[in-house]
Amino acid sequence: MAATDKYNLKNPAVKRILMEVKEMQTNPSDDFMSVPLEENIFEWQFAIRGPQDTEFEGGIYHGRIQLPAEYPFKPPSFMLLTPNGRFETQTKICLSISNHHPEHWQPSWSVRTALVALIAFMPTAPNGALGSLDYKKEERRDLAIRSREASPKFGTPERQKVIDEIHEYVLSKAPPVPESLKQTSEEHQSEKEAEEAEGSENAGRSADSVEPENEGGERITEEPQAAVENADAVEQREAIPRQVRAGVSNQQLQHRPAQRSTDDRLLTWAAVGLTVAIVFLLLKKLMKSSGYDAIFLSES
Amino acid sequence: MEKQEEINSNPGADWENFRDDDIMLQHSAIRDEQAHKILFLGDKEPLSALAAEYQSGSSILLEKIKLLDEKYCAIRRTRGDGNCFFRSFMFSYLEHILETQDKAEIDRVKVNVEECRKTLQSLGYADFTFEDFFALFLEQLESVVQGADASISHDELVERSRDQSISDYVVMFFRFVTSGEIRKRSEFFEPFILGLTNATVDQFCKSSVEPMGEESDHVHITALSDALGVPVRVVYLDNSSCDTGGVSVNHHDFVPCSLSNDGSSGLEINPYITLLYRPGHYDILYPK
Repeated sequence: MAATDKYNLKNPAVKRILMEVKEMQTNPSDDFMSVPLEENIFEWQFAIRGPQDTEFEGGIYHGRIQLPAEYPFKPPSFMLLTPNGRFETQTKICLSISNHHPEHWQPSWSVRTALVALIAFMPTAPNGALGSLDYKKEERRDLAIRSREASPKFGTPERQKVIDEIHEYVLSKAPPVPESLKQTSEEHQSEKEAEEAEGSENAGRSADSVEPENEGGERITEEPQAAVENADAVEQREAIPRQVRAGVSNQQLQHRPAQRSTDDRLLTWAAVGLTVAIVFLLLKKLMKSSGYDAIFLSES
Repeated sequence: MEKQEEINSNPGADWENFRDDDIMLQHSAIRDEQAHKILFLGDKEPLSALAAEYQSGSSILLEKIKLLDEKYCAIRRTRGDGNCFFRSFMFSYLEHILETQDKAEIDRVKVNVEECRKTLQSLGYADFTFEDFFALFLEQLESVVQGADASISHDELVERSRDQSISDYVVMFFRFVTSGEIRKRSEFFEPFILGLTNATVDQFCKSSVEPMGEESDHVHITALSDALGVPVRVVYLDNSSCDTGGVSVNHHDFVPCSLSNDGSSGLEINPYITLLYRPGHYDILYPK
């Protein structure tokens, strides 16, 4: 690599960054791709794939990373370039792993950890964090579809070349946009009817996309700090069960409505029980106040 | 280095126009200003310099410093940047090796360092995240052994301890070792951590051990002393006094479990490292 000649290998930050580059090359991920620019290894380009079972699924989101001279003592900065509906583009992202909470950063984290955490962050609620957006799911889905069509235009021709290469690579790794993703826009109109008709597979899919917190919400933690802590776990879970999940999803989808109706029934019974109890208590009180409490007392 | 800064400040990088940045910059500026009033590691000073600090202050403290004067001859201050314990530990230990040229101790500690490396690996840390820090510590350890090409003098050791690119790396090495030890023996450390911060072992390591600038407590000292097998004495200097009105200086010896478990616990240890603790800060003490 050209960078090796150009940089002072005695500089600990350079040494560390080169190690991370090597590590990324030896253990590539299907979920993201990240490389430093050849002319400056403190500047990286990356693309992440939208997390599965969310409105970002199928999307390819580009961004840039800037590593400080004090890396890994100081955190890297992240910025997205692809419109996504969750983070503003060309604005530093507010993650506890990145620049905006430097007190949380620790040198045992890496660009890889940060990217995994960033993916986990996508479906979380922004809660007004700086640089966050709260677009509707449909808008995010549309952006996800559009994100595949072309890579964003940014920076010098050299950087653009890197961006385009990353796009090609991630596109080749990313499975085609899920069927449901294309359907959702049509399904959206008939969402209400579809939800009522729980039972058919289609309805299950729609319910799933309407209420992703069933699955996605649990997998991806809301607390920024927690998201980082789970980053490794998320990555592993992301990587392995992809195939499995695809196979299982049909079954799951059929199960979920059934499960939901069981829950509903339980709730109904609980409500009925409560009503009966309240009526009884009211009655008792009424009788007491009107002097008929003797009926209860005489029996005891 | 210059080249790299030049590239970093390239146009197209409008990283700076961010709302929070000003506040953050200000925070770090304040911290920097405070920090630069004192070096990472100061010069050796007589204890009278310590007494001078309290001339117009507490009589209890002056009383205690007088007592310290019987056993200790000098103090070496460290910067109060949250890393003072680790930095004091670093310098004291390397200085001890430099002065004693204790080959057996070097071999022993190297075995422990390898053990710590394995601990981190088994805990799932990626090698590249800690490798540099380990390598840099071992390099310092080698360099204080005299007679080799890379050997350094005492002055050079002081200089290196003041050089951020070395000093911070060694501090970080100790933080990794400490975190690894706490996690490895989490059932042992859990009650102490709960008492201290009400956090889980994992949270504690992530928020109070691994990040630079997080202050150390007895949990950190116990873990580091155990992991490296290095006994540490901490002398407490605070405003407390005995009920009887008499003043005495307390100290606590952190004896690594490897030393205290083999039946020699009754013996007086001879710590390589003696630190002076004043609430919130550690400096190095030199016994007479």
